[in-house]
Amino acid sequence: MKRDLPGLSWPRLDDSSDIVACHFCDALQKAPNIQEGDAAHCCRCGEVIYQNRPRSLARATAYSSAALIFMVLAHTFPCITLEAAGKRTELTITEAALSFYQQGDPLIAVAAILFTVVAPLTLMGGLLYVAAPLRFGRALPGAVRITRLFQLSEPWCMLEVFLVGILVALLKLGGVGDLHFGVGMWSLAGLVLSIAAAMAGIDRLELWDRLEIAVAKSK
Amino acid sequence: MEIRSAASEGLASCHVCGKVSAVALVHCPRCHGHLHLRKPDSLARTWGFLIGAIAFYIPANLLPIMTVGGFGGSSSDTIMSGVINFWHHGDALVAAIIFSASILIPILKMLALVWLCLASSGVTSASPKALSRLYHVTEILGRWSMVDVFVVSILVCLVQLGAISSVTPGPAILSFAAVVVMTMFAAMSFDPRLLWDRQHGLKIQTGTPPSNNS
Repeated sequence: MKRDLPGLSWPRLDDSSDIVACHFCDALQKAPNIQEGDAAHCCRCGEVIYQNRPRSLARATAYSSAALIFMVLAHTFPCITLEAAGKRTELTITEAALSFYQQGDPLIAVAAILFTVVAPLTLMGGLLYVAAPLRFGRALPGAVRITRLFQLSEPWCMLEVFLVGILVALLKLGGVGDLHFGVGMWSLAGLVLSIAAAMAGIDRLELWDRLEIAVAKSK
Repeated sequence: MEIRSAASEGLASCHVCGKVSAVALVHCPRCHGHLHLRKPDSLARTWGFLIGAIAFYIPANLLPIMTVGGFGGSSSDTIMSGVINFWHHGDALVAAIIFSASILIPILKMLALVWLCLASSGVTSASPKALSRLYHVTEILGRWSMVDVFVVSILVCLVQLGAISSVTPGPAILSFAAVVVMTMFAAMSFDPRLLWDRQHGLKIQTGTPPSNNS
């Protein structure tokens, strides 16, 4: 049975999800009804328990598809081209990670690929796969497992750190040669912003509440 | 109104999806994740990762992080000498970024985690509210230490000019990446709810519960 709670913009499956426990202090409390754009804070420790994001599913879908498009661009075009002493080198996200492999450091190359390629792809691909069908109240096969997977990859998605790394490297390069920004650089900046917007677009609790209903319906 | 812990009611909030259900169910009815009152062996795991991170932090700072080779021989930089170079060249901002990301944040993060572990085993005492705020900040900031690893990877990728100038990664980079990953794992294994349990005198079996296959 699906219930619409007053004040919450999303429905919940049953009474039991009326109570929440804070993830930071485990205080058991009734889920407060909050307005769109507000956040519910724990009554004991004050940490955010959940947020009521306006047009959450639409935002998550839109920003995650934008992120995937930016991702293709960022991987296709070089971020930076360096011309020095008649030689030309190009920087892409994968090239940067693979340079460790070529220098005999395969372990870091794998880690770098995980943090800058695999984790962002899992995060945004997974969110789109789950959020887009949820707009129509459906869940595609494996949606529960995929939601778990992309939540797991969230802390390991380090593209914003990589972007700051590029900026620091630029300052370090200084007068080595001619530096040019490519399409890849702007796509990377767009990608970082889209990932942040997509993850802030929908609350984790809301996503699971909606997914629970969709899964129950498809059974 | 008295605030009760979910654990004292035999309820566990799923660490994956946040649904509150009876811990006796073993698996979350919504996302099928394993239900725990507290993260299993939280303190032991956090200490383990933390000690590993501290051990790796020593070679990460003593060994060179990258080597710049060129006509006039090659020069190696450790993390600290890189920061000092930037400072001398007048790039105070970059020096500050690298210093905070590579030196300040890892040290503060490890100290914070040591303090949190000590506090939740009752050695030191401080308000759990302040400590869980500290934990939250620690969790968010930790990943930024990775910036130095990416800087080296970008330089290695771009500066390949053969005999004139080329950058090769130094042995410290592996240790440094290990420090960052291990402190991230340490922060993930730590359970801030232990801080509150102590204040409220709640005793909870934090070990792995016996599997119930029947």
